[in-house]
Amino acid sequence: MIALLIANSLALASLLIMLSSGLALIYGLRDVINFGHGAIYMLGAYLGYTIALVGGFWLALVLVPILLALLGIIFEYLALRPLQRRSHIEVALVTLGLGIILGQVIIYIYGGEARSIDAPKILSGSISVLNLSYPVYRLFLIVMGLGSCALLALWLRYTPSGLYVRAVSQDPSVARMMGINADRLSLLVTSLSTAFAGIAGVLAGPYLSIDPGMDVAMIVNCLIIVVIGGTGSIGGAIVAALLFGLVQVAGSVFLPNLAALVPYILLMVVLLIAPGGIGRGRVLS
Amino acid sequence: MLRIEELSVSYGSVRALTDVDLDVRGDGVLHGVIGPNGAGKSTLLDAICGRRRPTAGTVRYCGEDITRRSISWRRRQGMARSFQRTSIFEDLTVHEQLDLVAQHLGDDRLDDVIEVMDLGSHLDQKAGRIAYGVQRRVDVALALIGRPRLLLMDEPGAGLSATETLRLFEHVRDLVRERAIAAVVVEHDVDAVFACCSMVTVLDLGRHLATGAPEAIRADHRVIAAYLGTAA
Amino acid sequence: MTGDLHGTATGTLGGRLSRMSLAIVALSIGLGAGAFVPTCLASDFVLRLGSEGLLLGMLALSVAFLMNQAGLVALGAASIYGGAGYLFAIGMSEWGLTPAAALCTGFLIIVAYVIVLGALIVRTNPLAFMMLTLAAGEMISHAVLLEGLRDYTGGADGLLVQLKGSILGIDVADLADPARFWSMAWIVAVLAGLAFWGIARSRLGAVLRAVRANEERMRFSGFNTFVPRLIGYVLVNVVAAIAGFLHVLNAGFVSPESLGLSVSTNALVAALMGGIVGSLGPILGGLIFAFAQDEFGARGLTQLLTGVAIVVFIVVFPRGVVGGLSSALGLFGWRREAS
Repeated sequence: MIALLIANSLALASLLIMLSSGLALIYGLRDVINFGHGAIYMLGAYLGYTIALVGGFWLALVLVPILLALLGIIFEYLALRPLQRRSHIEVALVTLGLGIILGQVIIYIYGGEARSIDAPKILSGSISVLNLSYPVYRLFLIVMGLGSCALLALWLRYTPSGLYVRAVSQDPSVARMMGINADRLSLLVTSLSTAFAGIAGVLAGPYLSIDPGMDVAMIVNCLIIVVIGGTGSIGGAIVAALLFGLVQVAGSVFLPNLAALVPYILLMVVLLIAPGGIGRGRVLS
Repeated sequence: MLRIEELSVSYGSVRALTDVDLDVRGDGVLHGVIGPNGAGKSTLLDAICGRRRPTAGTVRYCGEDITRRSISWRRRQGMARSFQRTSIFEDLTVHEQLDLVAQHLGDDRLDDVIEVMDLGSHLDQKAGRIAYGVQRRVDVALALIGRPRLLLMDEPGAGLSATETLRLFEHVRDLVRERAIAAVVVEHDVDAVFACCSMVTVLDLGRHLATGAPEAIRADHRVIAAYLGTAA
Repeated sequence: MTGDLHGTATGTLGGRLSRMSLAIVALSIGLGAGAFVPTCLASDFVLRLGSEGLLLGMLALSVAFLMNQAGLVALGAASIYGGAGYLFAIGMSEWGLTPAAALCTGFLIIVAYVIVLGALIVRTNPLAFMMLTLAAGEMISHAVLLEGLRDYTGGADGLLVQLKGSILGIDVADLADPARFWSMAWIVAVLAGLAFWGIARSRLGAVLRAVRANEERMRFSGFNTFVPRLIGYVLVNVVAAIAGFLHVLNAGFVSPESLGLSVSTNALVAALMGGIVGSLGPILGGLIFAFAQDEFGARGLTQLLTGVAIVVFIVVFPRGVVGGLSSALGLFGWRREAS
């Protein structure tokens, strides 16, 4: 029973990690919260749905991140760079507006009903692990989640750009004088963030639903995670995502009537105990 | 008036200050704190004024242990601080910001502060638009409101020429004597410190190196070795 | 009509008194005229739309004030607006209270909620605050849709309120009448605008602005920087709650839509359109939005245009359509614009 709980939490957390680390990265680097992140995830899901219909799940999984990385590049050049000198709040509001526009365009094109997508043959069905039967797809999700965590950790630890990102997240004023090409790094981080949102969107298809409200639902989840983790702290975001996944899954099992509210309760509790969030990030003014 | 006992401050694994003691009496004392970069001077000020919580040690103000007190409480008790990186209200006029603080701290002699810091001709200008030197004076003026008993100044000469810094120090020394208060000043410009301060403390690598009158410090071989160089 | 009540009064005391009384008379005329003239001239439909605009304008006022004075963007205004409506409806339907009692109870519950929530989130930096208000708003939306509370909240269908009884002598059922409601909404909106104008001019406003400009220096100057922001947060939500009560008194109905994120973003757009620099802008922004929304019909299109409007007004017209104009004329501005 516990094993099932943990497995389900990890599966959910895998998606959340892919999404929130992207958000946390951009915040750490640029002090910008992309409120349109949920809409990008939604785009990934719907695009994935369409591509999968035509060319299969795996094609979608490869193509969508590429397309969304391109979108990220456009977003960086057309929105983030020109607004660099504006206040962080103004940029955040602009991303909110862009997210709303993107969401509405998607709904306009696809209509308002929910879609579903099936997992590919290899990943469907269940597998027997330690005397328990568990859906293969969720194991796949967990693997993807762990994989992206590992990649992220390796990048942050062992590459110069990763080191720079870590430094800026901790102390923006000092690190920015280090002379690395901040613009190019920002481009990389933004497109990685959107690409991973796209992967998460495609992966979400067979696991959660594809519906018009998914952008708002997911951005709220990500925002909660980023705040709990300490905005700008990538490690904190990962821990927070794991915690969130656990609490969400446990909530739906033990408190089914309150399941929808459980993440918010978690948020309030964390704010009460540790107003700065878990990680060493910059939540408090 | 101010006594610091075995103060240690760490940022994660970095020890910025280790076992620092400091004793500052009131009554017109201008106490300088010098030391090479990374010595922990700013951290010391941060710990005294409440911006950083020390990992060990106590800060006593007028006999009371204030280590856990908030920044605003300390200010209301008369411990005021000015900043190395000028921290003022750019959108307000000089008069508006001084007035705002004066009303809050119940100081009805704002004109004195304005006169002392020579801000009379800048009162109606927006603080963001005035010259850097004037901005620094506003920064100090904000700390002078409310008749503080202990002034903490973090590199007041930052960005100023040697002459301007000396003048500022002389100003502060006179102020401190007139009002019989105390001031702890962290500064890089060693000449100004030696010229105006009655006591000097030297920090090096987060540790207390020496404390004494300027002449004694200048002659102290440890200080010379660590900081001043031979031609002191 | 000059709203510049504070004036640079260099005249004699007599001169000041007569200027004050002139202003008060002008204001009263404006208040009265606005309350009654449109009811004679405009159709019921226009009055209804206009009232909607005024209520949205009050929400926009609440968002704008906090943004301008404290630098905080509250994206959860709808949860208070709709929440007030829900509490009133529950009070009357489930708990069988009189309208006045339902109003008071609802108001107290909301104030308690806002104080607690504010205490948790007002300490954070403005970006985190924005995120948290969005989350809190969604939390209320989810709460209202909980299966377990369906008996209370009506779930996705919402709640109908039987409006009977009276509040302070005004028969509640009368408020369904477009003309009467317009007058009521107008008076309340103008008073709310005046209240915010007064607060902005007061010490609280000055402190909020200073905390926004340099929070650390304020602490170093002996100020408690948490309490003023909390007070500001509570005040703006009080106005949002009042607007919500008015809404339910008129509509006789609450639904999850009234507390949804789209209402919050509508209020934000109305504030941006009107300009967040004074009391006039958001109210006019609300009116403009209500009438424009009617033009654009379909909800999806309105939402799309909301998104576009947010981007356009931040990037291109930061002072809003009316705001720039109104502050140029010195009408009900929230800051003394030094040169």
